[in-house]
Amino acid sequence: MGDGLARILSKPEFKPENFVNRLSLGGEEDLEDMRHKVQRLSEETAVALKKNVYKNYSQFIETAREISILEGEMYQLSHMLTDQKGIMNTLMELSLTGDNVEDAEEVEEEVVEEDTLKSLAFLLEKVEGCSSVTEVPDRHLVHNGDLVEMDPETFLQLQKVHAFLLNDSLMIATWLPYRRGPVKYRFQTLYELDSLAVVNVRDVGNCKNAFKILMFPDTRMFQAENPKAKRQWLDILEESKKKKSALDKQRKQAAAAAIQEQRVSTSSFDDSNPFAEEEEPEPARPSSVTLETELLHVEWLQETPEDLDVAIAQRDFEGAVDLIEKVNEYLQNYPRVLPVREYRARIDHRIKQLTEVLMQELQSSPERSIRGGPRAARRAVAQLIRLGKSPQACDLFLKNHSAMIKYNIRQLKIEGATTLYIRRLCEVFFSSITETGQEFMKAFPEHFACFSAFVVWAREELQAFVKTFGTQVFQSKTRFSTIAECVYEARHSCHLLSDIGLELLFALDRMMEKDVARLIQQTGDHQVEAVKHRAAEDLWRPVNFQNADSLKAFEDEMNELGLTDIHSYTYDKVFTALTTNTIQFTKAYMIFCEDMLKVHCSSHHHMITSAFVDILTAQMKHIEKSVVSEHFKKEHKFVVQNAQFLVESVLPLVDRKYTAVSGHKLPETGDLCESFKRIQSLAKVTLGEFV
Amino acid sequence: MFSCLNLRRRLRGGRQGSSSASWDAMSKPKTQAPAVIHKVIMVGSGGVGKSALTLQFMYDEFVEDYEPTKADSYRKKVQLDAEEVQIDILDTAGQEDYAAIRDNYFRCGEGFLCVFSITEQESFQSTSEFREQILRVKNDENIPFLLVGNKMDLEERRQVTVEEAQARAQEWNVSYVETSAKTRANVDKVFYDLMREIRAQKVAAAKPDNDKKGKKKKSGRKCVIL
Ligand SMILES: Nc1nc2c(ncn2[C@@H]2O[C@H](COP(=O)(O)OP(=O)(O)O)[C@@H](O)[C@H]2O)c(=O)[nH]1
Ligand SMILES: [Mg+2]
Repeated sequence: MGDGLARILSKPEFKPENFVNRLSLGGEEDLEDMRHKVQRLSEETAVALKKNVYKNYSQFIETAREISILEGEMYQLSHMLTDQKGIMNTLMELSLTGDNVEDAEEVEEEVVEEDTLKSLAFLLEKVEGCSSVTEVPDRHLVHNGDLVEMDPETFLQLQKVHAFLLNDSLMIATWLPYRRGPVKYRFQTLYELDSLAVVNVRDVGNCKNAFKILMFPDTRMFQAENPKAKRQWLDILEESKKKKSALDKQRKQAAAAAIQEQRVSTSSFDDSNPFAEEEEPEPARPSSVTLETELLHVEWLQETPEDLDVAIAQRDFEGAVDLIEKVNEYLQNYPRVLPVREYRARIDHRIKQLTEVLMQELQSSPERSIRGGPRAARRAVAQLIRLGKSPQACDLFLKNHSAMIKYNIRQLKIEGATTLYIRRLCEVFFSSITETGQEFMKAFPEHFACFSAFVVWAREELQAFVKTFGTQVFQSKTRFSTIAECVYEARHSCHLLSDIGLELLFALDRMMEKDVARLIQQTGDHQVEAVKHRAAEDLWRPVNFQNADSLKAFEDEMNELGLTDIHSYTYDKVFTALTTNTIQFTKAYMIFCEDMLKVHCSSHHHMITSAFVDILTAQMKHIEKSVVSEHFKKEHKFVVQNAQFLVESVLPLVDRKYTAVSGHKLPETGDLCESFKRIQSLAKVTLGEFV
Repeated sequence: MFSCLNLRRRLRGGRQGSSSASWDAMSKPKTQAPAVIHKVIMVGSGGVGKSALTLQFMYDEFVEDYEPTKADSYRKKVQLDAEEVQIDILDTAGQEDYAAIRDNYFRCGEGFLCVFSITEQESFQSTSEFREQILRVKNDENIPFLLVGNKMDLEERRQVTVEEAQARAQEWNVSYVETSAKTRANVDKVFYDLMREIRAQKVAAAKPDNDKKGKKKKSGRKCVIL
């Protein structure tokens, strides 16, 4: 039914008029019927439309996914090509460890010792970052070879690796993309044979000659070149594990026997020697054998390496560090004899792993949300400090926060008024610094050395901030008022840092000093220019505001500026005794002073002071000139009034404001008063002539 | 990044396996092998027929000679009800010296076939140890698990009665199934039943409200003998 209607409606020759015409013939019932049909059709269409959109969308997603997979494969391919090139190059060279590794096992102890040195030296030379592996005494190379690592889930090839089987562990190294001298590989991981589970993987499809290594929490899958190579790996792994376990057992037994023996000997000694007390007791330095015994007999100690692995994998960092501290405490009483050193190496290996994981927590990487949460960072830092890595932790912590600040600032849009942007910039920046400071104190309590690092960091951040600030404020052609407002904002925010005990205002002033000084000079000069310019056009006429309202508005404006005695300079409801020049000057000067005081700091004090005085002096000079001028003889009374206004109203007001900010009285006001007196007396002379 | 996900997934163990499975499904194109992988581990003492069961299931063949396994893993595509999935079987060796090594095997399993031979009382006794170790490692009472009495074709040499095996299964709240790797009786059944349990648990774990309700109802379980 719906279909039929859809067909009619979608015909190319469909004529709505005819259709409706025909419909309306049928009467109400037909129309109602049709309405239902149309409605249903519209619903069906909507559903179909949705489906289509979804279908296309999922197709799009699938395509995107496929592309990313292809991309990955291309990358792998190029990687493999590079590797192949590397192999070609090395084919020419003879491997230091040839194929005679297997019989090395049968050779006498001493020879093994020699070989050990050689083999491990070879490791150091070929594998980057494996020095901790080679440090373990008695460790030697048993077997090594190229393997291809595979994804244990998908069986896809991942990368080429080189595996080194040592007598007590299996080391995996990745190929360096570019060879650096003899160094061909980079150390990746070391698995101890003790708990290493090896699984043969039956061939299936393209996956041939593979085997797996299970070492909680890792599952690694490797592919050997051919069945023989795989067989060899499995057999040697099996054999080495057996040897290791046999050796461990043997040592344990020997140690147990030694304990027994010692007990017997001491007891017999006590019994048989009645003079025992007279003799000096043996220095309580336990022999290597007893040490080993004790070590091997403490169960928790033996389980610690594996417990550490689990704790690290489960991200129980506190637990891991607890364990490490416990072991450290336990071991510190023992001299570093061989078995202790061996055990120590196993623990140190895990400390290194743990440190790496913790450092990663603090690393700011683009994939991870930058606000990874201060708690996570604090946690990592706390554990790193316990591990004695506070400088690294401190460094990473601060780097992390630098990235955060940078990110937050980048989130700010540069649009709208400069002051608005700067206000937000200051807010973001200084509150970030405060936050970091607070976090820092929580994370590094009592680490005063680190605290100086924080101060240095804050200063560097401030430098960056000033750079951004400068581009927006100093380099732009903004009015000085705006600039002053921004500088004020920055200084004010910076001052608030003293809440967390951070005094950076001095540093901020130093960083902005040059720019601000230049602008003070420039603006001051500009004002003096303006005074001269207005003076040339001064006609010495009172201003007529035409009506009382306008005069009132003027009075209000002056009041607003702080000139509260303005009413004594107005008369006749619409007049003021002040000239346009005086009014314009006063307004400009008051604003100028306000702005200057916003940027006032000790280093600009003198500049600002002389700018204040110079500008007002320039204006007074103009008045003095007018008094002696031939043109304005008739206006003397009026001229004196203007001078009086400047000296008795404007000057004290500016002085008050100046004192409030700078703490000093404005100097050289005496000169201005002198100038006023001169004007008065000059005027008197001429006025006297008239009287 | 990838290894990190892998690590998390493994850490969560079988309990949350399904979330990882769906993650797999998202990231792989359909043209490849089915993304869902159920990981089964064969446990039990040596000689009970773990390898024989595995080989029968994998390749439809019965191996007469007894060859102690090291540890083999197998992978196969199978049709689990309406869904194409992969089964990953780890056939373990009984004789690892270190418990830590066995732990490493068990940690990567999502379900377990705990096999004993009905002709050997001792092998039945050691199932308890295996069960215990698995529960310790997986830390989950509801880990998919089947108690399997193998070699049911050797009825005349039976040392373990159906009743005592069933009693133990009930105590553990798991199913008991008897099999023969030789005649292929119930071989598919144990693997498919276990996969269904694994799947059910993955689904339950994926649901946000997987509280007490999510746990499987274990009532009405019966021993199946053909
Ligand atoms: N009659 C019979 N023999 C079996 C059965 N399953 C295994 N076997 C035999 O038992 C021996 C040990 O089996 P195997 O699978 O290697 O045991 P595993 O050690 O558990 O892997 C082999 O000789 C097998 O042929 C079975 O169901 N019936
Ligand atoms: Mg076997």
